[in-house]
Amino acid sequence: MIFSPRRAASIARKEARHIWRDPFTMTLALGLPTLMVMFFGYAIDFDVRDVSVEVFDHDGTRPSREVAAGFAASPYFQVRAGPVGGDPILALHRERAKAVVVIEPGFGRSVRGGEAASVQVLVDGADNAVAGVLSGYLEAMRPAVARRLGLPDPQAPARLESRFLFNPGLDSRWFVVPGLAVIVMGIIAVLLTALTVAKEWEVGSMELLLSTPVQPLEIVLGKLMPYMAMGVGALLFVYAAARLVFGVPFMGSHALFAVCALLYLAAMLSQGLVISVVTRQQQLAMQLALMTGLLPVQLLSGFVFPVQSMPAPFRLLAGILPARWFMDATRALFLKGSGSGEVARPMAALILLAAAFVTVAMRRFKKDLEP
Amino acid sequence: MNPTLLGFLRKELAQAMRDPRMRVAIFIIPLVQLTIFGLALSTEVRRVSLAAAVRPDDPAGRRLLERAYASGWFIPARTAGNDPFLWVRSGSAEAVLVMPPRGLTAALLKGDARVQALIDAANATRARGIDTYLRAVLAETVRVGRGPPPAFRFSARLLYNPEMQTSLFLVPGVMCLILGISTLILTSMAMARERELGTFETLISAPVAPWEIVLGKTFPYFLIGMAEVPLVLSVAYFFFGVPLRGPLWQLALGSAVFVACQVAVGFLVSSVARSQQQAMMGGFIVLFPGIQLSGIIFPVENMPAAIAWVGYLNPFFYFVHLNRQVMLRGGDLGVFLKNLLPLTALGFAAAAVALWRFRRTLD
Repeated sequence: MIFSPRRAASIARKEARHIWRDPFTMTLALGLPTLMVMFFGYAIDFDVRDVSVEVFDHDGTRPSREVAAGFAASPYFQVRAGPVGGDPILALHRERAKAVVVIEPGFGRSVRGGEAASVQVLVDGADNAVAGVLSGYLEAMRPAVARRLGLPDPQAPARLESRFLFNPGLDSRWFVVPGLAVIVMGIIAVLLTALTVAKEWEVGSMELLLSTPVQPLEIVLGKLMPYMAMGVGALLFVYAAARLVFGVPFMGSHALFAVCALLYLAAMLSQGLVISVVTRQQQLAMQLALMTGLLPVQLLSGFVFPVQSMPAPFRLLAGILPARWFMDATRALFLKGSGSGEVARPMAALILLAAAFVTVAMRRFKKDLEP
Repeated sequence: MNPTLLGFLRKELAQAMRDPRMRVAIFIIPLVQLTIFGLALSTEVRRVSLAAAVRPDDPAGRRLLERAYASGWFIPARTAGNDPFLWVRSGSAEAVLVMPPRGLTAALLKGDARVQALIDAANATRARGIDTYLRAVLAETVRVGRGPPPAFRFSARLLYNPEMQTSLFLVPGVMCLILGISTLILTSMAMARERELGTFETLISAPVAPWEIVLGKTFPYFLIGMAEVPLVLSVAYFFFGVPLRGPLWQLALGSAVFVACQVAVGFLVSSVARSQQQAMMGGFIVLFPGIQLSGIIFPVENMPAAIAWVGYLNPFFYFVHLNRQVMLRGGDLGVFLKNLLPLTALGFAAAAVALWRFRRTLD
């Protein structure tokens, strides 16, 4: 018997009808991408602004007030005077402020006397986002405060002029929204495939299907086709949102992007297939899909936490995630306009992983058919 | 204890634990995950591949590059060709320093030295960090042996996490995710399975009170969730050295309320779903945004009011906050209550809606 596209198509039609009827799958496929794009587009702000600061001025001289005024003038801070006689540490402990500025008595005298003067800043280290940027903010506002104090602040003999390539406005949405395509696509593919195929096994309808004249390959392709379409749909949606709503440029080749996306989809669908064949039980399939699909795809793919910053063994571990490579390719194609030579590495990795996952899935599937 | 409940408890626990693969999925995989994420993830800007073209007669330029590599933030980039832009685009360098035309040494003598940095800003946050570090390295390089230090400076001190270890910040958060995911999924599936297999009708017609069914199908999963708490906590405490500065009772009470809340949400999902598959997808529809907006992956504090209310419906948001406060900052009672009360309210709300739906199916 040879492969018949017609039989595969009828399986696909049946599966599509299932999906169409099920409000949960539809919500997952349509609602989730919409919600996430909205959130990332409008709600999440990587730029730490309006850091709440309490100033404890134990000096009370003109120079100490100038320092407080310097903080108030900076766009980064939201300044309040600390309670008189209060404990600065409590402001952090009770989460009233992210940082406290403590000006010790004698500060004004040192400034007037021309001595080196310093102001202590205590930072809430339990909040990484703030702690990470604060020292940069302080360094940036130091010259302005020194000028306010009338202190000599000689121009540094060398200046750095940074050019931010590929995202000159440092808009974090340009970074997050294309990445979202990778996440949503991957999760839909692994989760839904693992679930639906596991269900056929658990309920016993897989055996039934296999005893019909339909071939195993037709069954698998037929069942996967609608999910592939959903994955592609999610990708197109995020692409359109990124380009039209958020103005993210797409500098690379669309053909390359399509090839990478299909490879990625093939790898993720076969990962779901492997899970379902191995477990043959929905509950376990779900647990495994969540463990291998949900958190790793979001945390180890470089979506937010850069792969380069990981210790070496974990960089290797991330390397077996298709999402990590598609993330690379997506960003390179959207923002950098890389050519085929430059995305060769992620593409080769995707080809390798897709081939490996498809082979394992087919092997396991075949083995299960033998009595 | 009520014998009916005890029977339920034994049956549910046996069912969840029967499959050795399930035992692994419930107890071992979460620990492995916590360990991997705790070790691997970092928000620090590290291992930035840096390249520069330095003329042989430019000692200052060479010193700048050496200092950058010695700082621990940068590693040498392997570059081919001689177009700095292409180095960055191909990803072989994340940042390139371009010295003044006659070299940094000559420019410093003339008094107006401008070093250009080309920074890969595809990741905007990282690009900002790279810029800050390069500025610091440059300032340090040219300052050496030149005049007094600046007359005014800030001395910043980080409390709670003085060495800025990412794991201290991330592990208390990831703990919450792992705890919440498995509890919710297990609960939502248990009820859905009864419904799918048709045993739910049998259960209703049995001489068992409705409240016994509800408690019997949810309490075991609360216990499983609570059994995971000491496991993940020990990994955090002993392996990652996350301190426990606040009182233990706050952590215990917070965990209990959070796990109960997740059980209630799972119950709610299962009361809407008609099959296991739907239950899982429903669980997922709740979990995915919950994780994204938990405050672990993205900063969620400055959300605009129009959208922030969605964040306030997220149990993860409160528990992550509570857990960090207790473990790192020392457990201020006011902050503890500010997170515990909404968490409790969410749990009750979810349970109330679920019960209402449950009664409707009974009638």
